[in-house]
Amino acid sequence: MITEIDLREVLSRSVGAPLSDLVTRSTGAKVRSSIEAQLSERPAGAAVVLDFSSVRVLDCSCADEVVAKLVLGRGVAPGAGQWFVIRGLGEGHAEEIDHVLRRRRLALVAEERDGRSRLLGEVEPAAAAAWRVVVDLGNAGAEEVATTLRLAPAEARQALQAAVAAGVVRQADDRYVPLTAA
Amino acid sequence: MTYVIDVPQVFDERSFDQFAAGFAGAEADARVLVDAHATEWASPAGLIGLLCAGQALLARAGVKPLLTVPAEREVAHYWARAGFFAHAADLFEIHGSVPRVKPNPERNVLLEVTPVTGADDVHAVVGKIQERAAAILTSELGLDPKATMGFGMALSEACQNIVEHAGTGGWVAVQTYSWRALGRRVVVIAVADAGVGFRHTLEATQGKRFGDRWGDATALEAALIQGVSRFRDPGRGQGLAGIRRYLDRWHGKISIRSGTARIALVPAWERDEPLRDGLPPFPGAQVQLVVPAVEREAQ
Repeated sequence: MITEIDLREVLSRSVGAPLSDLVTRSTGAKVRSSIEAQLSERPAGAAVVLDFSSVRVLDCSCADEVVAKLVLGRGVAPGAGQWFVIRGLGEGHAEEIDHVLRRRRLALVAEERDGRSRLLGEVEPAAAAAWRVVVDLGNAGAEEVATTLRLAPAEARQALQAAVAAGVVRQADDRYVPLTAA
Repeated sequence: MTYVIDVPQVFDERSFDQFAAGFAGAEADARVLVDAHATEWASPAGLIGLLCAGQALLARAGVKPLLTVPAEREVAHYWARAGFFAHAADLFEIHGSVPRVKPNPERNVLLEVTPVTGADDVHAVVGKIQERAAAILTSELGLDPKATMGFGMALSEACQNIVEHAGTGGWVAVQTYSWRALGRRVVVIAVADAGVGFRHTLEATQGKRFGDRWGDATALEAALIQGVSRFRDPGRGQGLAGIRRYLDRWHGKISIRSGTARIALVPAWERDEPLRDGLPPFPGAQVQLVVPAVEREAQ
């Protein structure tokens, strides 16, 4: 099940005014709390799409408070066990989010407006390569990743597990799937 | 006896130390006159620096310092259109004729002198700039449209510095004008407060690390170059780093004066000292960001 969250709508609801600029750390904290409250009613293991399409300005402090802390808390915060994907980013948004994630050694998947995906933040190179194979094939097992990347099977499994740990791929039995795959 | 602080004839970042020296010479209980009658031009940094001085003097003595209005009619009008007198009236006993101006701002005043005390103010400032300045930044300065969103980010982070660290309110102003050394137009964001300053803010978490070297200059280096924050959370301290990235990309300049020191990241088009210490003390922090027009505008 995929939950889509319109950041502009959450922002306006959180601050009680129709705003479209995600700025300031205190605003970010309100937005994150609102999202966490919404996700606490959702089952664990669901993918959550954070939609930035209607957000105009995003500053570093707010990006850290909303995105990085949501990703950081995916194992412990209310709504834990969620997988986060970002959609509708402008180039400037992507840059800010990439930096705040790197600062905390985190990563997530961003879906581009043309439908392609890319990773933001910090992911081990082998895990990033494994993620790309999974995305390109729609889903993959360790053997396919090993063949495509010319890795030993154990190395491929390790790379896939690192991608799962980074929160950019899901594991379904012995297969690995993109976060927003049905 | 009244102590007089002369406002420089051209009051900008470069002449700020002259003004600060005058400010530092005022005794705590002195009646102070801030004399701007001979001032012919003030940058946004100069205008909000005056407000910071007024705020600090008022807080210190409990009585409003005096301020003389520039004698040149055009100068006084410009200050009024930039929104200076609207806030100066709360801090100074103003002497001279304050022009009444229409609310319609000058085209080069992208943001009038605006107080910043909380997150709501930052939202308002960013919203106003995005609506008013985007077209000007793109059409007149030739900035890439992508630079406009980054401009809002940089403005927001600079203003948050006041909200999060100053311990008091501050001001922001944004203008475009010609930068003589560059021979091109620039857009200037000036943000300042009369709060506790960088050294005091960072002292509890960083002072020990620097030992005897700790002071205003090391505090500025720690904040701007090393990206440290008073919080132990690794996600903090990203605001100035974000501003630096933005200015690197668009060949801009940042300078920060706090206490007795000033630090600057100086692009190739500008001559300035990267770090100065032992300056006349001035309260709080004064931040200036300068983003130049693209080169083709000058051709």
